[in-house]
Amino acid sequence: MAHLRRPRPATHALGRRRALSTPVAAGALVRTLTERLGYNLGNLWTDEDTVEFTVDGARNVEVLTTLRDDPDLEFFMLADAAAVDYGTDAHFEVVYHLFSWKHPAWLRVRARVDRANPRVPTVTGLWEGAMFHEREMFDMMGIIFDGNRDLRRIYMSPDYRSFPQRRDFVLPDDAADSPAAGVNPLERPETWDLTRFNEAPAVTFPPSSERDDAPAEGVEGGETLADKSRPR
Amino acid sequence: MTKIDPETRIPDPIELDRLEEARLRGAAGLVPARATGGEYAGFDQVGIPDRPPQTDREREVYSLEEGEMLVNMGPQHPSTHGVMRLVVKVRGEIVVDVDPVLGYLHRGIEKLCENATYTTVLTYVDPMDYLSTMHNEHAPAIAFEKLYGVEPPKRAEYIRALVVELNRIFSHGLMMGFLALDMGGITPILYAFINRDEIVDLLSSISGQRMLFNFFRVGGVNFDTNDEFLSRLGTWRGNVLKNIEMNERMITDNEIFRARTMNMGTLTGRDAIALGVTGPNLRASGVPFDVRKAHPYSIYNELEFDVITQEAGDSYARYLQRIAEIKQSIHLIDQIIDKMPHGPVQAQVPGIIRPRPGRAYAAIESPRGLYSVYSISDGGPNPYRFRMRDPSFISLQAIPKLMPGRLVADTMAVMASFDPVMGGVDK
Repeated sequence: MAHLRRPRPATHALGRRRALSTPVAAGALVRTLTERLGYNLGNLWTDEDTVEFTVDGARNVEVLTTLRDDPDLEFFMLADAAAVDYGTDAHFEVVYHLFSWKHPAWLRVRARVDRANPRVPTVTGLWEGAMFHEREMFDMMGIIFDGNRDLRRIYMSPDYRSFPQRRDFVLPDDAADSPAAGVNPLERPETWDLTRFNEAPAVTFPPSSERDDAPAEGVEGGETLADKSRPR
Repeated sequence: MTKIDPETRIPDPIELDRLEEARLRGAAGLVPARATGGEYAGFDQVGIPDRPPQTDREREVYSLEEGEMLVNMGPQHPSTHGVMRLVVKVRGEIVVDVDPVLGYLHRGIEKLCENATYTTVLTYVDPMDYLSTMHNEHAPAIAFEKLYGVEPPKRAEYIRALVVELNRIFSHGLMMGFLALDMGGITPILYAFINRDEIVDLLSSISGQRMLFNFFRVGGVNFDTNDEFLSRLGTWRGNVLKNIEMNERMITDNEIFRARTMNMGTLTGRDAIALGVTGPNLRASGVPFDVRKAHPYSIYNELEFDVITQEAGDSYARYLQRIAEIKQSIHLIDQIIDKMPHGPVQAQVPGIIRPRPGRAYAAIESPRGLYSVYSISDGGPNPYRFRMRDPSFISLQAIPKLMPGRLVADTMAVMASFDPVMGGVDK
């Protein structure tokens, strides 16, 4: 009974599966990378439009200088710099995305940073514009960039003490229980003064007899209809 | 830091104020004011934080020499394009240094997205850069499609490109109005908003929402085009060039506008790259970097267009660049409408997706520059890490470089020429 079966969607509606591990046409880039940076090139990996590798955090300036200044590479633009927290028992990563006219791929450099001692050299000497990236990473993840001359908080207030994007910082509901509890009193319920909420008089409607738009059912026991409809 | 030549130094208002204050105090029989803790500290102490400076740069900005003072522009300043504070160190009317203070609008969108499913992330990113909402959704949609391994149908890609270019047009059109507004020209912003409302109505007729469209889905778009959208699009296309040119005629040759933008805030291409400035601001400095050409995403490799650049790199060039890009976007929209295929607009994707562990990077050209998303999946229903690179956040670093030695009144004019949106800056 083929006609009773649900028709299969057309192939283009289903969506073609992208091949996640197809190497880009970036063989030249991979070759040049292994040639120039062979000794500290780890986990070389490509997908459809990205080539990535890992380096030790302490060598990031050395590696990025080569990538920027080598005439065969010329990754002149820092597209993005972001920090990733891989959990309390793992490590941080500072991830740089670079762009070059010469290669048809984004280059992703993942610099590994120790979590107990999160220090990494600054790249503001290479790209001045890395300043806001590094200030944001310091603010959100608590990574310290040695040599950065303006490493202060950028989003949170200067007296804030936590690092909100770390994995061990839970959302403000239970921030007071987190090991990185902030100093913001809004995040510490034991400091809240709730008396003005408890002592406030209950808001009630006037009796139904005095109201023109009173509903058919009266209001019982000081409860409004809105109160009744609320889940208990 | 710019040193002011003492020969050309204008009378110091601080000294004049001090003399006046001493005269009034003497007349009232009061003791002379002195800077002590808790009392009025005098002009030269206002704005300096009551804690030791944390960095070299902070010490540099917040230590005043004779004749300098700090002025706060913002956070509630009508021309900061949102809630931002610029601490401007001035000597008379001359800017000596600028320190942007951010975070007044910080909502922690990245953290929120890490606690949301992939589908709901596309609603959280909407209010980020609220003038380019479609672009905000485009990059995460591409990144999640890469992670999940699904490709949207061709028609969805074309509809995406269409709405994204429409969004670019109204964003650039607003920039023209805001730039004139920040120099005191009130009329162009009214026409810019009329033009914007036409496009917003157009987009709301296809997406169902007016400002935060929430139109993109993983694997396609929410709705196909409808009759209302198409008829509005035709009307809009008939009038758009006339409207844009009318607004342009009001601004481009205005003598005051030219005097206040030409040779103002000149940024060389080399500096712009070093500072991370991207998008129209970078192209106005002569660097032909456009993500649509450099790393074509969506259907941009099927469309014919050239990267437009300007040579001057000043505020006026950034303004001209916006106009040129509006016309380019109209040209692109014509091509998209001609080539748009029939077919479905949404690949079959479940509501909650669990991509296999991996990483994806997606960059798009937003009206403010390179907007990119770096998303990491650990196999769960929400992203392990969701990172957004907002172009106006990074471009803001150019302001402290450009302003020293200029007049205070030009700070806002130069800032408006970079077209930052604070919703994106503060995330």
